[in-house]
Amino acid sequence: MIGVQDFIRYYDWTFEYLRRHHGEAAVEAYWAESIAFNSQNHANVLIQAKGLQGMAEYWGQTLESEAAGYRAFLGEGYYRIDMYDCPSKGLLIRLGQQAYHDYCQHCMGWIRPIMDRAGFVIDHEHNHAGQCWWEMRPPTQHEPPAAPPPIRDDHDVRLRPSWRQPMHDLWLGSRPIRRQ
Amino acid sequence: MAHGDFYFTINATFYHFTERWGGQALIDYWQALGREYLQPLARQFEEGGPAEIARYWSAYFAGEPGGEVVVSQPDAGTVLIDVRACPAIRWLKESPAAALHPPVHPMYCQHCLYINQAMLEGTRYCFELQGGAGRCQQVFRLSSGGTP
Repeated sequence: MIGVQDFIRYYDWTFEYLRRHHGEAAVEAYWAESIAFNSQNHANVLIQAKGLQGMAEYWGQTLESEAAGYRAFLGEGYYRIDMYDCPSKGLLIRLGQQAYHDYCQHCMGWIRPIMDRAGFVIDHEHNHAGQCWWEMRPPTQHEPPAAPPPIRDDHDVRLRPSWRQPMHDLWLGSRPIRRQ
Repeated sequence: MAHGDFYFTINATFYHFTERWGGQALIDYWQALGREYLQPLARQFEEGGPAEIARYWSAYFAGEPGGEVVVSQPDAGTVLIDVRACPAIRWLKESPAAALHPPVHPMYCQHCLYINQAMLEGTRYCFELQGGAGRCQQVFRLSSGGTP
């Protein structure tokens, strides 16, 4: 039986199986179609109906139940998540498993299509070490912005000593700015 | 305990394979899981014997949310997993968000059969499954000539 307790390891392995047998585009299609609007349809429904408040309801519950090390809040015109210790990437790091070459990419892979449909854009950065930040917000007339948002407060993950890693992927206005 | 909403992802993954590439592609994926990803578990079963198989599945189902499963050893070479309520099927049908997702994939129950059979290829064990739709009996049995 494929259970939920070791699901993350199956998930990572499945990304690589798809890439190996059907190509990289098939992995992205899996996230954008079947994860976003089938697996995560409960998130999709909340966010389409309630916007930023729906994000707060979805991630507040989900991250808490996954025992993630994080904080999230609804700012003025944006919803922000600072992930200090991602439970799924952290598990793979501890186990030394890396079947797929970029596990962290799957979050952007399914969240962006939902935000596109709901009329929001994403600023996001992850460091491939289980830490990332997200801001979901309505688009402005000038996308993508010239720079990431400012440090928000003392709990901003970018202030953590462990934040700076050799590889960082950055998206602004839902567009890839830097991928390493 | 892990969150049951991951069952939605497993179900969505099965739909993804069959809607794009057909049922055989899903079976191929399951068999690859058994032959590749789960080979360390096959070796664990080979080395530990039926007692280890029983211990593993008893602990595994105890770690899944909402199932009712009894694992026993009716004889020295057999492990019986009596799934009285499958945690996955229950979650997919009864959890709060179930109405927002597609129904249980029509091939869902077969993943246990194909994955375990593929995993056990080359071992002393065979795998049998009877039932489905949330209630089944799974048997790991020493093949004829095998010793516990």
